[in-house]
Amino acid sequence: MARIGVFICHCGTNIASVVDVERVAESAKTMPGVVFATTYKYMCSEPGQAMIKESIEQYNLDRIVIGSCSPRMHELTFRKMLKGTKINPYMLEIANLREQCAWVHTDREKATEKAIGLVQMSVAKVANNKPLTTSTIPITKRALVIGGGIAGMQAALDIADCGFDVTIVEKEPSIGGHMVMLDKTFPTMDCSACISTPKMVECNAHPNITLKTSCEVEKVSGYVGNFEVTIKEKAKYVNHDLCTGCGLCQTKCPTKVTSEFDQGLSKRPAIYIPFAQAVPSKPVIDANACLKLTKDKCGICEKVCPIGAIDYKDEVSYTTEEYGAIVIATGYELVDWAEMYPEYGGGKYKDVITGLQFERLVNASGPTEGHIVRPSDGKEPKDVVIVKCVGSRDPKKGKSYCSRACCMYSAKHAHQILDKIPNSRVYIFYMDVRTPGKGYEEFYDNTRRDGAQYIRGRVSKIYKEGSKLIVRGEDSLIGKPVTVEADMVILATAMEPSPTVADVANKLGIAIDADRWVTEAHPKLRPVETQTNGIYLCGTCQGPKDIPDTVAQGSAAAAKVAALLCHDEMETSPMISFVDPNKCSGCGFCEGVCPYKAITMVEYAGRDGNRRVTKTVAQVNEGLCQGCGCCNAICRTGCIDLKGFTNDQILKEVDALCL
Amino acid sequence: MAYTKEQIQEMIRQEAKKALATGEVSAVVGWTSTRFEDRTKPFFAETESECDLLVWNEYCINGTAKYALDDRYPEKKLAVIARGCDSRAINRLIQDKQVKRENLYIIGVACDGKDNPICKECQHKNPLTFDVLVGEEVEEQINADRFAEVLAFEKLTPDERYDYWAKQYDKCIHCYACRNACPACNCIECYADQYRTGWQGKAADREQNQVYGLTRVYHVGDRCIECGECERVCPMDLPIMRQTRKMLKDINDLFGDYECGLPDDRKPVLGEYKLEDPDEFM
Amino acid sequence: MSVKKDNNWEPVILAFCCNWCTYTGADLAGLNRMKYPENVRVIRVPCSSRVNPQFIIRAFQKGADGVLVCGCHPGDCHYATGNYYTRRRFMLMKRLLEYNGIDPKRFQAKWISGSEAAKFRDTVIQVSAEIKALGPNTKFVGTYAPQNAVEGGQE
Repeated sequence: MARIGVFICHCGTNIASVVDVERVAESAKTMPGVVFATTYKYMCSEPGQAMIKESIEQYNLDRIVIGSCSPRMHELTFRKMLKGTKINPYMLEIANLREQCAWVHTDREKATEKAIGLVQMSVAKVANNKPLTTSTIPITKRALVIGGGIAGMQAALDIADCGFDVTIVEKEPSIGGHMVMLDKTFPTMDCSACISTPKMVECNAHPNITLKTSCEVEKVSGYVGNFEVTIKEKAKYVNHDLCTGCGLCQTKCPTKVTSEFDQGLSKRPAIYIPFAQAVPSKPVIDANACLKLTKDKCGICEKVCPIGAIDYKDEVSYTTEEYGAIVIATGYELVDWAEMYPEYGGGKYKDVITGLQFERLVNASGPTEGHIVRPSDGKEPKDVVIVKCVGSRDPKKGKSYCSRACCMYSAKHAHQILDKIPNSRVYIFYMDVRTPGKGYEEFYDNTRRDGAQYIRGRVSKIYKEGSKLIVRGEDSLIGKPVTVEADMVILATAMEPSPTVADVANKLGIAIDADRWVTEAHPKLRPVETQTNGIYLCGTCQGPKDIPDTVAQGSAAAAKVAALLCHDEMETSPMISFVDPNKCSGCGFCEGVCPYKAITMVEYAGRDGNRRVTKTVAQVNEGLCQGCGCCNAICRTGCIDLKGFTNDQILKEVDALCL
Repeated sequence: MAYTKEQIQEMIRQEAKKALATGEVSAVVGWTSTRFEDRTKPFFAETESECDLLVWNEYCINGTAKYALDDRYPEKKLAVIARGCDSRAINRLIQDKQVKRENLYIIGVACDGKDNPICKECQHKNPLTFDVLVGEEVEEQINADRFAEVLAFEKLTPDERYDYWAKQYDKCIHCYACRNACPACNCIECYADQYRTGWQGKAADREQNQVYGLTRVYHVGDRCIECGECERVCPMDLPIMRQTRKMLKDINDLFGDYECGLPDDRKPVLGEYKLEDPDEFM
Repeated sequence: MSVKKDNNWEPVILAFCCNWCTYTGADLAGLNRMKYPENVRVIRVPCSSRVNPQFIIRAFQKGADGVLVCGCHPGDCHYATGNYYTRRRFMLMKRLLEYNGIDPKRFQAKWISGSEAAKFRDTVIQVSAEIKALGPNTKFVGTYAPQNAVEGGQE
């Protein structure tokens, strides 16, 4: 039989002025299992706590109910207090007599009746409490960053600077991501490569960072502090341990294919270093283009390599490593506008380009060495049209969201054209101009002063007449159609998550939204955490953003990782689900509703009548379970239950309140 | 050309014999005759000669699938003669991970409608899952109105509805026959048998029967294959499907067309969600 | 604990509130000294998806006059997706109860966030008034008393 002590707090006059606390205590004495009940002015004070401790000894209590303020206020205080007694800290229930009784009622009689009811509910519940113990799990002090763009690099550098080992997994042959493709960055117009390549070099040189380029995450298991990640390394066909990066091979390679880095505006060989400042600055072979690998011909690179680093027999390899924390920074891609907008030529006009292609055109290390020319005939354009919101803010054809960076980079593009091409004219078709950011509005103002003509309206059609591109749209401010004869059109296409994100998120067990952006644990208060403990996010995998925001998130994620990794072990909440394997039918419905993938179906040596059989039953991973209880309510048998909120406890609460 | 009942019966017997002859099958579950002309009973044919006792006529109304749960860890396969409803029941058991497909050998046979009221609303006479099909498929009836009874009942006043069910539950003798016959009731231990947690009482009084009745609907409602076994086996003639079909109707209204026991991977409605589900709790 | 006298009758209303949103909202109502009727008693649960519909049936069986289930707004669940399951479960449960003769006002569900103290108060006032107008619940009320009423546990 339980020996329950009930302690009713006056909370000065907060509770006592409305609730007759003495009557509540007297009434509590008659409740089943209660052996002692009393009141005190401030239960949370030192003397109050001392009094509770003494009563526990004196009346040999094995569980207590405290009628006081909200459990959200002092549950932890009283649990800590119980740590010094013979009672387990979880043999405690709190009746909320202040926030949900005294403070919201005025009728003393009715409030007292309600208080008695609330205490009765807590007494009924605590009678069914079980001692719970927190367990600790060790933490592997290493972090994995998925994606080596500016977000991933920033996160990795900050974590590494805290003294923890970091691995960056990058699917491309070089880290750097999109930022290193860009020419200048708004609004300061500093050279993008000049500020991002030092980060790349630092990542490579940092003693705590391991770069894994041409690699992908294959499998993730485990939980916070204890992830086991299998990383797939794609075949590079070049032994990077031997290669010195002299680059001779790529000058001799006879095959030429479209360059990804230059956004299709130039060619690269089949054995290639993606770009001049690539890290690692060592080549890989494109297996789809290489003559040796596709047709068993050529083999020139092997012949010219002075140190024999070429290895045509290289294969995919897998390594499995342990990490304590994971950061996802898989970044973005531009949407395939050609499919969405056939009326813009659907990709058949060479001089209709994306903003990212323009970045390569205007970049001094790009295919034209920074000369802005038409891809079709190499002539300098005089009239350039920039079309904003291509795929963004267009739920019918593209995405409903705003891609955030386009207004600013379009202004930057206009500024660069007007600056570099004398007597040029730039027309910008826009829906709204959005410039929230330090120095952004000023930059936009300057661009307009430079002469960029902003036309409010969508472009309805782009077609070719002679060498000109005819851009037709509507100026919605004057309500009249406009036609511009342009030499080149730049589309500010929408950002969308990297195509790999769904796969990576699935492996990590984290949520993505309808547009495939990674979902954060809380949009305001936990912006760089996912709902799975130990997995963090940063950069454009979470939503469109510009470089400053991306870098800030990278550092924020790093701070969260460091805050986790600086501990040797972490306590897990004991209020988690548990399974009675003997009753479990193994239907697996609980597994399906768990938001944390904390439930797995495992084999269990059970009985079927007189036979020993191997059953398949649900099992809860204590490191992953967060104690929501969704699985409990879907279990028909009730064999998966939640410690601290068991079916039994809640049914007894219901019974007590309805009596 | 359609086969006669006798021809199908003979083919069932032959298929049953073939199945037993493989040595991989412990028994064939089907129907056999009784001393009443208008009744059959479920039957386990374990030898070749017993196969000749299997019958096929309009009185073969018992579900055969649930017998697969008699032995959840069988050494040999169980052969099941499955009509449309039986095959859906088998799918139910497979989807609920209570039996393994490889432990079953399914002899499918298209049903011509049995002497059982629920067959009037049947939309799946042909078996949906089988290893071998006896005879040929029959035409399915489309637009069978499964929810007419529910719709009519919804028109009554709340008190009329309560009184109706109260009278029904007054009759209930809490025998759990509905549970035992139901292919969706496949827990190893039913919540109702749990003494300590005390979800509900065991007495056959109105209130405890009501609690059982409502909980049963909630437990099977989103997985019900509409075979009507619960109602057929009820010794007190409670209109149990009228309850379960209510939930099915609501599921169809709220979350789109929904039928259970089809050979697809769709999760039960309560085991999944959509962001755009209707919301009335704002 | 209410005394069921006709003129002075107070209903018993149970409110299952999720710890992260509605329970916090109810606390905030207290902090702001908002006033609402005494007849609603809150049962704290980690998430609205913890609420097994069998708890609702039990409440009616034990004589509750009304039951309220409250959780975070869809999209705001502390556990990311719990309330989406809650929504399905109780939309079906509500209809099933209604089908069995329980007035839909006696079982209600509401999304109330941690900042919506006023919505909590208004909901309680409204539900309380509606149930008072309906009078005592007599449907499904039974006499079942589970064994081990004081100290339960696993089988």
